Amino acid sequence: MTFLRRVPRRVIQLTCFVGAVVLVWPVLPWAIAPRIFVQVSPFVALSSSIATRSISLGIVFALVVAVASSFKKRWFCLYLCPTGFLLENVSHAGLRKASWWSKCPPVGRYVAILTLVSAVAGYPVLLWMDPLCIFSSPFAVNKATNTISVILVSLGLGTLMAATLVFGMLWCVRICPLSGMQDMLFSMRKTLWTRLTASAPSQKFRAARRVFFAGSAGALLAVWARRTGAARYRTSDTLLRPPGAVPEDRFAGLCIRCNNCVHACPSKIIRPDTGHEAGLAGFGAPVIRFDTDYKYCLETCNACTQVCPTGALTALGLEKKNKYIIGEALVDNNVCLTALGKKECDACEQACPYDAVKIIWDEEQYNAYPVVNDKCTGCGACEVVCPTSPVRAIRVWTLKPA
Amino acid sequence: MSKDLTRRELMRRSIAAGGLFAAGSLVPVSSTPANQAAGQSTTQAGTRVPATIVDGKVVQPRRELPVFQKTSILVVGGGPAGTAAAFSAKRLGVDVTLVERYGYLGGLATGGLVLGIFPLYDRSGKQVIFGIGEELMKKLDVLKFGIIDRNKAPTYPTIDAEAFKYVLADMVLDSGITAYLDCWGVDAIVDAKGAVRGAVFESKSGRQAILADIVIDASGDGDIYAAAGAAFEKVKTNIGLISRIGNIDEVDMAVGRGSEDPEHPATGKPGAGRPSKGRVNDLNGHAGNSTPAPHMNWLNMKGPVGDALDIADLTAMELKHRRGTWGNVEKLRQKPGNEQVYLAETAPQLGVRLSRLLGGVKKLTVQEIRSGAKFKDVIGYSGAYANAPEFQIPYGSLVPSKIENVLAAGRCISADFEVADITRLIPVCWVTGQAAGLAAALCIQDKCKPRNVNVAKLQNLLHQQGAYLG
Repeated sequence: MTFLRRVPRRVIQLTCFVGAVVLVWPVLPWAIAPRIFVQVSPFVALSSSIATRSISLGIVFALVVAVASSFKKRWFCLYLCPTGFLLENVSHAGLRKASWWSKCPPVGRYVAILTLVSAVAGYPVLLWMDPLCIFSSPFAVNKATNTISVILVSLGLGTLMAATLVFGMLWCVRICPLSGMQDMLFSMRKTLWTRLTASAPSQKFRAARRVFFAGSAGALLAVWARRTGAARYRTSDTLLRPPGAVPEDRFAGLCIRCNNCVHACPSKIIRPDTGHEAGLAGFGAPVIRFDTDYKYCLETCNACTQVCPTGALTALGLEKKNKYIIGEALVDNNVCLTALGKKECDACEQACPYDAVKIIWDEEQYNAYPVVNDKCTGCGACEVVCPTSPVRAIRVWTLKPA
Repeated sequence: MSKDLTRRELMRRSIAAGGLFAAGSLVPVSSTPANQAAGQSTTQAGTRVPATIVDGKVVQPRRELPVFQKTSILVVGGGPAGTAAAFSAKRLGVDVTLVERYGYLGGLATGGLVLGIFPLYDRSGKQVIFGIGEELMKKLDVLKFGIIDRNKAPTYPTIDAEAFKYVLADMVLDSGITAYLDCWGVDAIVDAKGAVRGAVFESKSGRQAILADIVIDASGDGDIYAAAGAAFEKVKTNIGLISRIGNIDEVDMAVGRGSEDPEHPATGKPGAGRPSKGRVNDLNGHAGNSTPAPHMNWLNMKGPVGDALDIADLTAMELKHRRGTWGNVEKLRQKPGNEQVYLAETAPQLGVRLSRLLGGVKKLTVQEIRSGAKFKDVIGYSGAYANAPEFQIPYGSLVPSKIENVLAAGRCISADFEVADITRLIPVCWVTGQAAGLAAALCIQDKCKPRNVNVAKLQNLLHQQGAYLG
């Protein structure tokens, strides 16, 4: 009997796992598949919709999951979640002895509450704990250009698998905010049901207090994070976000480190931040670096903006993406080969797809040097071809308000 | 009264010459029957006919030009392309005559002070230009202060202008090439069928003709093919003037060799601050590139856009560039450590980059070089230049689309503007020069026209002379 019930669940789980890989890889010619995959999580779909005040296509799937989970406890975890399936199998190989955590409070639901409240303030603080985004992230490894990026994109899932080996299913049962959210949906539905059918039982006061604390913490964290994010952008010179990025005060919160944009970039110029650019709050969020040979933000591509599940990168059409300002190219004439009379070089002028760089002749200085005009989008085409080393004479810098 | 006298005098002479022509210089000599009276007047000293004024117009009477020499191959221009053409052709045992406008050989590589031998390498740093150019550099290798930074990709070699003038003079003297310096090739000689039969040049000896079976136009400006009526495109681009500055070692030893070299960073402070928008810097202590001569940098100048075929533009550049260079060196001296910097020389020749581009059998386009196009009639490679990868140059780019018996070499070959902006550079001129020289020699040996040259044979010869064809 139990055997019969278990087999179909495993089959469904395996099918969903394979389906998840197919969507994220992406094997399909459906460019936005990785985005839809992450949006299936009602935790992501709801929080990001609240934070961005907009509705995306993925919310349809998220609603189905939410409704189903409210009727069958942890339905998503048991059947659909690829992370859960992976960890379940890892736990079979692991020690599984440790069960000290069985008395641990259900952290996941408070994480969910904290995040939902902070989403109202525009900065969903712990949204990066969503299991689907953690599952999606390591697929960006094939676009990682250095070891640090490899480590960063696989950090989430790697940590969970290691923890599961030692502690068993601690994550899924107690910490995962998506399972916590499902629990809440289930008990809310049940409470509603009971209230409608019988007399109302009183809720536990302790739980209500925790909810209050979690919500307050979320609101405070969101306000604080938005202030530091805005300050960071004002002081940084080298922080460049992928095209379509929302303003920096909200970006590090809305971005859930799914690394879909890293994965989608054909130029391999998007990579997870080590915290060097945007501090601890921005750890793992995508930044742009023009250090891959001859690769820049192509005028024929808007892939990264299409795969972001939370709207941290606004989905932009090609034309709009080509008008999005990533940063501004500035020339250091103390390095430029042309300005210094070192060589016949007009690499930046030739490379610019937007006609934004011109080498001008200055009759006053009696010298020639590149000048960047307002058409510059910061795509980096000039920077990647600039032949000076180790410092390039023309580089893209964080855009400063005039 | 003087006008009347002039007219009477002119009438008398022109009746003797058999007619009046408004533009005597354009009359093909070979189609003119030799006239006894005119022949006498041009061969006798002091009886040459000056230009005169007829009805308010300055006219040059028709006259016969002395044939200074008859040769198999005439190379007009003794720059990198012209000398490479002459050397390679002469090695096949063909009679070669070279005329050069200035008093030395090497063109822009010596007189223009374009000392950087660039672009020489492909994207990976492998040298893709050999042949005559490599031979010349090998001769410089053994000279003290002859050449630096050989085989140090991506840093390109830098030559010394005087060393290179010496090498070329030495080679020409020993090669058996008939060379005439201080000769300005000014016109083509075209037969009744429109085929080129030689060229006219001016010198202290006056206006003279050299008859040749094949003319290689390595004049840079395509003066000869243009005069012969070949199709061409006229382009305008920046014209600069290179200079050399001395006593610059104290501030520049680490950086002079081109900041592409990771071992010699461009600035003492890598990653030094954010440049302000539109800031204009004076030249600072890192100006120019080091040369084989100690304590000496060569300093490139982009210059403003000008018409290289307009003498007013050229004159303005010659004057303003020298004034501007002097001013820049004065500014340079104001930087600490640079107090003793001096202007050693400005280049004798203006840095004319492009003027005429041949309308050839094949026009090499930027799309082709960016996509790595391969040609059956490849005659050599250009190295990678900034955004463009290394690329093949087809023989068709040297051959005019219609006119016979003339080949282009150097910066005036058939290519679109973007490509010509690369093929104009020194080592690429060696490549097209060598190919043009060998093709011309094949025309003589096989008694064929340049457009009918056996390309396989040409490529074989190029291989034998050490050229790289991929």
